[in-house]
Amino acid sequence: MKKWFAAALLVLSIGYTAYGLSTLTLFTASGRPAAGFFPLFIGLLLVITCAVNLLGDIRQWAAEKATGARHAHRPEPAAEKSAEALGIETAALDGGAEHGRDVLIVFGYVCAFVAALKVLGALLSMIAFMLVFLFTFNRGHTVTNIVYSLALPGFLFWLFKILLNASLPVGPLGV
Amino acid sequence: MIADIVANLSLGLSIAASPEGFLFLLIGAFVGMIVGLFPGFGPAAGIAVLIPMTFGLEPTIAIIMLAGIYYGSMYGGTITSILINTPGESATVASTLDGYPLAQKGRAGPALVMQAIASFVGGTVGVILVTALAPSLADFASSFGPSEYFLIIAVGLLMLTTMMGENKFKGFISALIGFAIGTVGVDVMSGQQRFTFGSAELIGGVYFVAVAIGLFGIGELLHCVLNGQHRQPAKKLRVSFRSAAFWPSRQDYSECRYTFARGSAIGFIAGVLPGSGATLGSIIGYSIEKKIAKDPENFGKGEMRGLVAPEAANNAASAGAMVPLLSLGIPGSGATAVLLGAFLMWGLQPGPLLIVNDPGFVWGLIASMYLGNLILIALSIFAIPLFVKFLDIPYVHVVPVIVLLCVIGAFAINASIVETWILVVSGAIGFAMKKYGYSPAATVLALVLGSMAEETFLQTYIISDGTMNLFWERPVSLVLSIMLIVVIAAPLIGMLARRLSRGKTIAGDV
Repeated sequence: MKKWFAAALLVLSIGYTAYGLSTLTLFTASGRPAAGFFPLFIGLLLVITCAVNLLGDIRQWAAEKATGARHAHRPEPAAEKSAEALGIETAALDGGAEHGRDVLIVFGYVCAFVAALKVLGALLSMIAFMLVFLFTFNRGHTVTNIVYSLALPGFLFWLFKILLNASLPVGPLGV
Repeated sequence: MIADIVANLSLGLSIAASPEGFLFLLIGAFVGMIVGLFPGFGPAAGIAVLIPMTFGLEPTIAIIMLAGIYYGSMYGGTITSILINTPGESATVASTLDGYPLAQKGRAGPALVMQAIASFVGGTVGVILVTALAPSLADFASSFGPSEYFLIIAVGLLMLTTMMGENKFKGFISALIGFAIGTVGVDVMSGQQRFTFGSAELIGGVYFVAVAIGLFGIGELLHCVLNGQHRQPAKKLRVSFRSAAFWPSRQDYSECRYTFARGSAIGFIAGVLPGSGATLGSIIGYSIEKKIAKDPENFGKGEMRGLVAPEAANNAASAGAMVPLLSLGIPGSGATAVLLGAFLMWGLQPGPLLIVNDPGFVWGLIASMYLGNLILIALSIFAIPLFVKFLDIPYVHVVPVIVLLCVIGAFAINASIVETWILVVSGAIGFAMKKYGYSPAATVLALVLGSMAEETFLQTYIISDGTMNLFWERPVSLVLSIMLIVVIAAPLIGMLARRLSRGKTIAGDV
């Protein structure tokens, strides 16, 4: 994934520079730098550095592939010992195995939450997000999850809307 | 001079010690300690997430609270370093080296008290030096022109990226990304729209707070989820300050009396220099203490000086970072960049004239740091059992709090759904940057300073008729240009020297 992220940065950099070149003026009629001058300078630097960066990441990936090295997580012996003494999981001390799937789920929930803001309003979206999140990752604690899902959004709504008088999206229930 | 300082501090105290000022300082310090407690969630994220909650406050009171979160996190981060060998904050990594072995030896109580005292000494020495140096530096900087400002920004950003160890190059790219995002919106010099794609919401540019909350708040949160923190059970720890064994012995105080001073001095210097900051300061503080000790073999095995040195250093550094921020308007780290963003949000114009135009704000902030350190030492010692209780909260309950604060906070700033989506996209980018070794801090720093860098660069270009000779014709610019060349050349020369020596070794082997 590292090389794909580097590739995405390179594509975006090329897009930024090309769009800047096609829409912005580089110099004024009197020869002074105009609105496109600084973006072009930054864009060119970005394209060059992102290209070098991508090459480096591809080389690293190829070398790892050739040697068979993998980034699989192995618990650190020292962390295992400490964790045992403390009665906690080793991952709490050494970072643990990666939970990429959970990241995707949480990020998906955050996107759904933002998408729901204008439809359901702030309070209902917050409650829905909390319920879905907690019933995914904190199963078996039904009462706690429901109470927490009502209490925290209620408190934040009071804090932002009533106390700070902030503008929040309004839903079908008027909140 | 001293009379001026006393008068200014009195003015500052009248603001910071007012009932409202004191209340929000207390809230900031308390929240900062909690932010420091949770591993992976640093002060930059804490400040960014809580900026929207300062709406409705006076600018000075709001910044006093946000600054309290910044230096309060340095105190809180050490509690987990000592008790569970997990630094709550990168600046407290060095504190685990001897802090945790001390806890394993049954000396968790004395370690917690000594770290609180070291933090207090470091923080207070740092603020005293800020009081003395910030006005003088601001006075000196008032003669700076655009070339000096551009070079300070360039040196600061390059130093930040070169301090990143293996990932210097990715740090440099991160800064360029920040500059690129900063070019979105109307160009201040020509009035032409850039990269707005016809969107009215982007005419004013990509709003800094949404990007900062996304990169630091959502990005760090997703990284914690990746590491499985949300699947960890709560850590049941108990600490009581009622037992005699909780307090340090006379020997502890006597052994560390010079360590407090050394750590504070080293940390302050590291804090003032752009890019190095509290993390590097604490590591250097630890290394020097170990190097000059008569018994270096004891370090890493539960040596009190090995805990006191980095703690004094990281707190002095967090105060030191305020010198360039208040006198030049140039932040040196992610957290101070977010603070600078908050300054701008409140309509304050950072730079050497800030101290002249808005003395109530600058001196109120400095005075609040004296009070803040007093509050924090009291909290650190007498409320330790309470903060340890916070560790009982499973991370799965913390995740929704952060998400809700980030999303609702980002929307509430300008009631803009576009900015809320910018937050989400920034969150995804921040996560990927953290995972693949880029620097969200450099991106935020460049975003905050982007318009200033562009303006000063173009002014230098225009004044010098395109020759850029201002960069070496003015004395301060010349010194800064040399520094810039050294910062760029030093790693390249080092790399070349390593390659040459490797080549010689191989040739010798043949």
